[in-house]
Amino acid sequence: MLRFGYGGRILRVDLTKRRFRIESLDPSWIKPVIGGRAANTKRLFEELNPDCDPLGPDNVLIFGVGPLTGSLLTASAYFTVTAKSPLTGILGDSAAGGQFAAEMKHTGFDQIIITGNADNLLYLLITDSGVEFVDCPEYAGRTIVETTSAIRTKKRDHSIQVAAIGPAGENQVLFAAIVSSGNRVNGRTGMGAVMGSKNLKAVAVRGSRPVELADPLAFLSEIQKIDKDILTHKEYKKRYKMGTTMLMKDLNSIGILPTRHFQEGVCDYVDEISGQKLAAAFKVKNKSCFNCNVHCSRYYVTDENEAEGPEFETLCSFTSRIGNQSLPFALEMNAYLNQMGMDSISTSEVIGWIMECQERGLIHPDDLDGLSMTWGERDKIRLVVDMIAFRRGIGNELANGTKRLSERFSEEAQKLVMHVKGLDVICGDPRGIKAYGLTYAVASRGADHLRAEPYFELTNRKEEAKMRFGTEKAADRLAEEGKAALVSYSEKIALLTDSLTMCKNIGLCMDILNFESASSLLEAGTGLEYSPKYLEKILENAINLDHKFNRRFGVRTEDDTLPERFQKEPLKRGPTKGSTVDIKKMVEEYYKIHEWED
Amino acid sequence: MIQVDLSKCTGCKKCEVACAFFHTGKISNRLARIKVLNLYELGIDGPVVCVQCQEKYCMVCPVDALTLGPLGQVIVSPTVCTLCEACEKACPIGAIEMFDDIVYVCDLCGGKPKCVEACTEEAITFVRGGKGGPSLASFQKETKKMSPSQKRQYYVEKQGTKLRQKWSRKHA
Repeated sequence: MLRFGYGGRILRVDLTKRRFRIESLDPSWIKPVIGGRAANTKRLFEELNPDCDPLGPDNVLIFGVGPLTGSLLTASAYFTVTAKSPLTGILGDSAAGGQFAAEMKHTGFDQIIITGNADNLLYLLITDSGVEFVDCPEYAGRTIVETTSAIRTKKRDHSIQVAAIGPAGENQVLFAAIVSSGNRVNGRTGMGAVMGSKNLKAVAVRGSRPVELADPLAFLSEIQKIDKDILTHKEYKKRYKMGTTMLMKDLNSIGILPTRHFQEGVCDYVDEISGQKLAAAFKVKNKSCFNCNVHCSRYYVTDENEAEGPEFETLCSFTSRIGNQSLPFALEMNAYLNQMGMDSISTSEVIGWIMECQERGLIHPDDLDGLSMTWGERDKIRLVVDMIAFRRGIGNELANGTKRLSERFSEEAQKLVMHVKGLDVICGDPRGIKAYGLTYAVASRGADHLRAEPYFELTNRKEEAKMRFGTEKAADRLAEEGKAALVSYSEKIALLTDSLTMCKNIGLCMDILNFESASSLLEAGTGLEYSPKYLEKILENAINLDHKFNRRFGVRTEDDTLPERFQKEPLKRGPTKGSTVDIKKMVEEYYKIHEWED
Repeated sequence: MIQVDLSKCTGCKKCEVACAFFHTGKISNRLARIKVLNLYELGIDGPVVCVQCQEKYCMVCPVDALTLGPLGQVIVSPTVCTLCEACEKACPIGAIEMFDDIVYVCDLCGGKPKCVEACTEEAITFVRGGKGGPSLASFQKETKKMSPSQKRQYYVEKQGTKLRQKWSRKHA
């Protein structure tokens, strides 16, 4: 019996039969994976036929929270959605903060496991007692906020939290997102398309089962320490003011801000599109996830639109990465993409790749139904984003993602797709942050930083680097040395934050979470024994499972690599000038640490 | 009484968490006497808590289970209360609500409100003494048939209108 921390129950939903079943969560099953992302992966591994059609009824869609989600733990606001990815064909998952996770936790379900597909567009209203299947054909085409408001109004309860898909998810754009709390996005790997394929417009949650802690006073004293560390952290003020958008200037200052589709790492007009500019000109207030004291999110109002965000990835994706110099336009795109429910990184990659290929003469407009685009051409970008969301015209093909789109073009054009394992590379040029490069290469969901977020690499703590990772070079962003050790450590903390659950900006980037603090929190929270050593061991096991899982999907060692550009083509100017990534060497070292034969 | 400045609220719910935790040892918005709404269509977040209104609508209690404390706070006697819901129905802004046979309304933590301590944004402040809170007569007319949650939504939305005007002026 799980009484503390955990909700202690799982919910199984069969959309085809419109039935649900409540099961108790077995402590021996959950303890070795903690919860959240690690538990989702284990569940998928056990229950998914790896050969299934990711957009068919057999795909298993899992919403998961952890033992400390929605608790007294600061920023315990994350949930992970996991399924086989329709974009990459391998392990897919994506996490989001906001308010959904805590409310889901309060329903008493640690996991919601959804299979089958509905014959009609519907949403699920999940409460303590189970599921109400609500048909909603009239919601077709509605945005996230419209859907949320409609559900709340209909059910006369404005504390209901909603994770919905927009038109992009309904149209099964392969990189469609799930969006909750109005603008909080499970963006990567196309989880929104999986929902769309199941005719599932939204998952709405409203709970009343409180989170109980095994030792509330011990837990409280841990939280007081953590909160003090957060509020006195040297990055606190900057994060409070700009959130992750602070990275626009930070990355530019070290020459790794993706500019014109990674052709450059320095953007000359960065001051026009920076986090500083956003905060000064358009921010009207701070926004926050559940129980967080960093409040790093922001609400903005422009003449034409308003929304929460954007985070760095979206801001960079719709400014320098595609040559756009207008901040208001990027804000318009942020609002639009969120409400259409589409991943900004993958959308930007489609656009940036076409722009570069057309500039190089590798793709003729005739090959794209007459579409031609040049850097920062706003009307075209707006049009293309819309065509993708609704799969209109050539948008129907672009909606399958850049890698698939590239397959009918020349090898030269294919090489310019910035992806690993079919997932588009995030904003951050790995030529100047080698540990990030390694993370993109080995991340089990494809090119992504959040699997490890080795932010330590940028903190210049040389002595600490030597002590912790065996070489000062681990704190040298341009070195390959020591990076496998750094990533192997960081990926465990990343998985830990995703599994407790907690925010990674705080847990990992601000260095708040480690095995010791997590052990204290978990023991006081759940009453189960979680020694630091045990935690480290089970996190290693969970990472091995990711690896094994992807082998089932056909991933091979040679897929753990980076686009050729990062390996062979040095940047021409700026503080990262001349640098390329020796990815093979780092991956070999990383495999050695993990004792993986292949 | 507790005063709210909507322009500073980020919607983090630390007040709600602190309230539930220090009263019950558990975390749930059902157990909190201050409840935060996130109105995504407006970008407005805000807590709803007893404002010590001029009218004292909740004092309709037919068995006199509700009394006023020295700080103006509402005190509910659980032994006298018959769970008739009259106070919940009477409050025009949903600041008093029953859950699991208990009436939840702000008791000001005896003069040191935990929600105020928890707020890092100064969005809620504790004001001692004074003439009591605002009149809620206009809300009472509008929210009669609403659920407590709907009343809270209506209240925050109305309060948020002024803030939104300020935002649009910034960009005029």
